[in-house]
Amino acid sequence: MDKGNSAAMSSSSPVRAMVGASIVASGITKVYGHGTNAALHALGPMGLNVKPGEFVSLIGPSGCGKSTTLLLVSGLESVTEGKIEFDGQILRKPISDVGIVFQDHLLLDFRTALKNVMLQQEIRGLDAAELRARADMLFDRLGIAGSEGRYPRQLSGGMRQRVSIARALVHDPSMLLMDEPFGALDAITRTQSRHDLEMLWMETQKTVLFITHSIEEAVGLSDRVLVMSKSPGMIVEEIKIDLPRPRPAHLGEYPEFAQYAERIYQIFAKLGVYKF
Amino acid sequence: MSTGIRTSRALEPVLWFAGLLLIWQILVRAFEVPIFVLPAPTDFLADLIEERHRLALHGLITTKLILYGFIAGALPGVVLGYLIAKFRLAEQILYPIVVFIQGLPKITLAPLMLVWFGFADTPKVILTGLITFFPVLVDSVAGFKSIDPRQYYLSKSVGASWWQTFRLFELPSAAPQIFSGLRITIVIAVTVVIVVEWLNSQNGLGYLVLRAMDGTNTPFLFAILFVASLIGVVLSFGVAFLERLLLPWRRI
Repeated sequence: MDKGNSAAMSSSSPVRAMVGASIVASGITKVYGHGTNAALHALGPMGLNVKPGEFVSLIGPSGCGKSTTLLLVSGLESVTEGKIEFDGQILRKPISDVGIVFQDHLLLDFRTALKNVMLQQEIRGLDAAELRARADMLFDRLGIAGSEGRYPRQLSGGMRQRVSIARALVHDPSMLLMDEPFGALDAITRTQSRHDLEMLWMETQKTVLFITHSIEEAVGLSDRVLVMSKSPGMIVEEIKIDLPRPRPAHLGEYPEFAQYAERIYQIFAKLGVYKF
Repeated sequence: MSTGIRTSRALEPVLWFAGLLLIWQILVRAFEVPIFVLPAPTDFLADLIEERHRLALHGLITTKLILYGFIAGALPGVVLGYLIAKFRLAEQILYPIVVFIQGLPKITLAPLMLVWFGFADTPKVILTGLITFFPVLVDSVAGFKSIDPRQYYLSKSVGASWWQTFRLFELPSAAPQIFSGLRITIVIAVTVVIVVEWLNSQNGLGYLVLRAMDGTNTPFLFAILFVASLIGVVLSFGVAFLERLLLPWRRI
């Protein structure tokens, strides 16, 4: 059995509480289409290193390849060049020991909120009672208790996104990949969601790769922020965020926050992201 | 209060229908229309009651054929719709055949069907299936193709098998569109079975129609048509009911 297969096998094992997984990517690029004219160079070459239990944000202008990075790291799209290691094993197919919060939540509109979350249990064949208890806990923690029986169409944008976060966490994966999960939310809900996510993360110590275009979210949540350049995206700067946790709703309480934000802003300005 | 309103709403079409029959009755009598041209409602309603056992017996035979033919057309329609939507190769191989069959006036296949499958129910079911197949196929292809491709990111990341992907993601996603095809098709199936029964039958409503025509028994013909349309309405409601039952999220 080769390494890729055994990685897939172990990742399909039942729920296990453990520290997060690690990701090491080196020299990865993604080119869509073939030929010189049709090809779209979406990403890279770039490297990425996320340690077990670490909360890392990828921030960059829209269209820089942030979402592509997430798809590559999750194994849902294959790299054109380079390689990715998930927990030390080369990634060859979609990893399943992962929770993904997709942009636009991607809930199934024919399933109720609870059944959307329990999809993980149904497909992975996990213990129904145990997962149900976890789902209840997550609904409660994410402030969506009481909406279990509702269909996505009956929920607000914020609630839908919370349901999709619950779905990404219910099977207790060792890694969480989030693609602008709070992008569509209003400012108040976003701040609350950010706090709730931080608290959940502090309890579970999963590895999180968080994609955002919000400087506030990146600094407010991360251990490290990776700043990406415009398309084709590359990581141009790494910023360690050294702020105590849990971080407050109003980040302005920390003078350091303004400094971090200013640094990211300056990088964007240098890259020509802003044109004034 | 609200139940009173609901009852009166349900009653409204019935009253309209009764009113229409009354006007019909008055006009036929006033102008002394010959009964073999247009019978008065009382004429064919009398036949309906008098011949109720025969009508029920043959109506049930026809209904059975409608359901068999409907299933014989709808099931392959959904399956091939899935294959065509999902696999380019299936699309390339199957679509030309499907389009050719669709172009063919299928009722003209009846004699061939009789030669091949004899005089029992089989040729009727196959013919009905051939005709109901296409609308279901078209809607199934559209339904399966309209699935948000990102849904596959989700199904892959949770590690869904082929069967789980079909059962838990693709089929429910395509179901509303498939049902819109089924709703149209069930009504077509009623017509097809009766017409096919004209070609060769010793029973069924189509057979009764021929018998009525032979004797220029127009009131009986109307009674048969009444039963046929009743079957159509009940089956349509049946499909709609099934849709409500299976797709509860559509109601919200």
